Amino acid sequence: MRSGDVIRGYRIVSEPTNSGGGRCVWAFAERDRRRYFIKRFLDPKRPKSGSAASVRLRLQACEEFERRHQAIMARLRPDAVGGGNLVLAFDFFHDGASYYKVTERIDAVRTPQPRSLTPGEKAVLLRTLAFSLGLLHSIDMVHGDLKPGNVLIVKKRQGAFYTAKLIDFDDAYMSGRPPASEDIAGDLVYGAPEWRRYVQGDEEMRPEWLTTRADIFALGLLAHHYLTGTLPGFGDRFGSPADAVNAGVALRVDDRLDEPMKRLLGAMTARSPGARPGIATFLQTLKNPAVCELRSRYATSPGSRVRISVRTKENQP
Amino acid sequence: MTSVDEYRGNLRYAVDIVLCIDVTESMAPVLETVKKSALTFHERLSMVMRQKGKEISRLRLKVIAFRDFGDFAEDAIEETDFLVFPDQADEFDGFVRRLRPSGGGDEPESGLEALALAIDAPWERGLDRRRHVIVMFTDASAHPLRSPQAVSAHTYPQHLPQDMDGLFEQWGYAKSQTAVMENSAKRLVIFAPDAFPWTDITEEWNMTLHFPSTAGHGLEELELDEIIDTIANSL
Repeated sequence: MRSGDVIRGYRIVSEPTNSGGGRCVWAFAERDRRRYFIKRFLDPKRPKSGSAASVRLRLQACEEFERRHQAIMARLRPDAVGGGNLVLAFDFFHDGASYYKVTERIDAVRTPQPRSLTPGEKAVLLRTLAFSLGLLHSIDMVHGDLKPGNVLIVKKRQGAFYTAKLIDFDDAYMSGRPPASEDIAGDLVYGAPEWRRYVQGDEEMRPEWLTTRADIFALGLLAHHYLTGTLPGFGDRFGSPADAVNAGVALRVDDRLDEPMKRLLGAMTARSPGARPGIATFLQTLKNPAVCELRSRYATSPGSRVRISVRTKENQP
Repeated sequence: MTSVDEYRGNLRYAVDIVLCIDVTESMAPVLETVKKSALTFHERLSMVMRQKGKEISRLRLKVIAFRDFGDFAEDAIEETDFLVFPDQADEFDGFVRRLRPSGGGDEPESGLEALALAIDAPWERGLDRRRHVIVMFTDASAHPLRSPQAVSAHTYPQHLPQDMDGLFEQWGYAKSQTAVMENSAKRLVIFAPDAFPWTDITEEWNMTLHFPSTAGHGLEELELDEIIDTIANSL
């Protein structure tokens, strides 16, 4: 795939790149004056030659790959309520040895700083993200790689709300039926405690524990990130939030957050998947935008123009 | 779920990278850029990982410098072991700084032999997750594996596969029984012209990326950033 190539009628209009793309190369494309995002998968490849056994094995992998993608495309409809914030595939095909997927092109903006958003704007951003994830969960599908890189922030016009579009379901799997531990996707920072145990080959860890609640853990971290600009605290001796949680150490949720939000994020990042609330609870809590407020660490005495700095855990030396 | 007493420690990630570098005469205009990229690779990768709040538990780099067995057997391949960073950074730096463009004879070089040696390298099999990356830098096409002139060289590694099909089977694919590389861990990044065998490899081998180059033009900064980004985003 090169800039200028035409693949199944899609003209490639940017230099293909692997940036942020994991197991694919992607570019922008045009067809019939419409703009698209196209990705070429690095794996699997359709066999062109080789021994009969080799060709058979590779064709099997291709057929499994096609079935999985077509099943996702069939179950996720863009006309579902909230489906507009899922970036779904328009086209999926192979050309030569490679598979391609085409989606609409999204013109994303930089993630806004939390301090630049009102509580209402934050609530809309988080609710659009949760609606999309909820659609996946409603068909019992785990996104499996929820992280900032897989959330596009969109602002359609000046003065409009920021909304979130969820992308990249290529590593999605059915709840409780994850891929093998060496193949499962996931992110070192946003991975859930049970995902890490699965990847580490913990013999006590059962695959069926990897469910939609793994996404809830990541959504809790993402929500904290969008509300405060940082992840919850997890201490220097741990490599990630999940490592801390697996060691029995609760994450430090920013104490400037509203109490209901602190409780919600604490529950979403619980060690036990069963203790984490579902998307419905998240959406219910966000119905009140005030929960997205980030209180100042500075308290101002009523009637006074003097600002008093209050010492908190975070700002102590 | 088991108790927290069974906490198994932080997730540990191993990253192994083999840099296959064409050091024939024609690489003279770009070799310094490639060397600079190799020398700064560790620091740049570490910086990007830090920015993403991620940490590599064990990073190793290996260099395979190649020319042409058919031209001059003695220096057709020069290589390091896998060197652990940052402990063996000095050894890595010393090897890379000593690389000089010379020889090569006719235009196809022994790039496939270098790639075969990289595939057969002693990749890390431990830790919790692994990323194994081969990066090929060349401005030339390659001789077919085991060309008669090359095989007659007394330094030729006789254990290499018989042909491209054999090499492909060693590279492997999902559920392959013959692969020597771990399918989910591996990546092959090729900076090479649109020529045999690089174009075919990119088309038919999985987990392979090709950044086409032309003679006299080298590795752009943006492309090195892509390799680093590829690694950092896939962890």
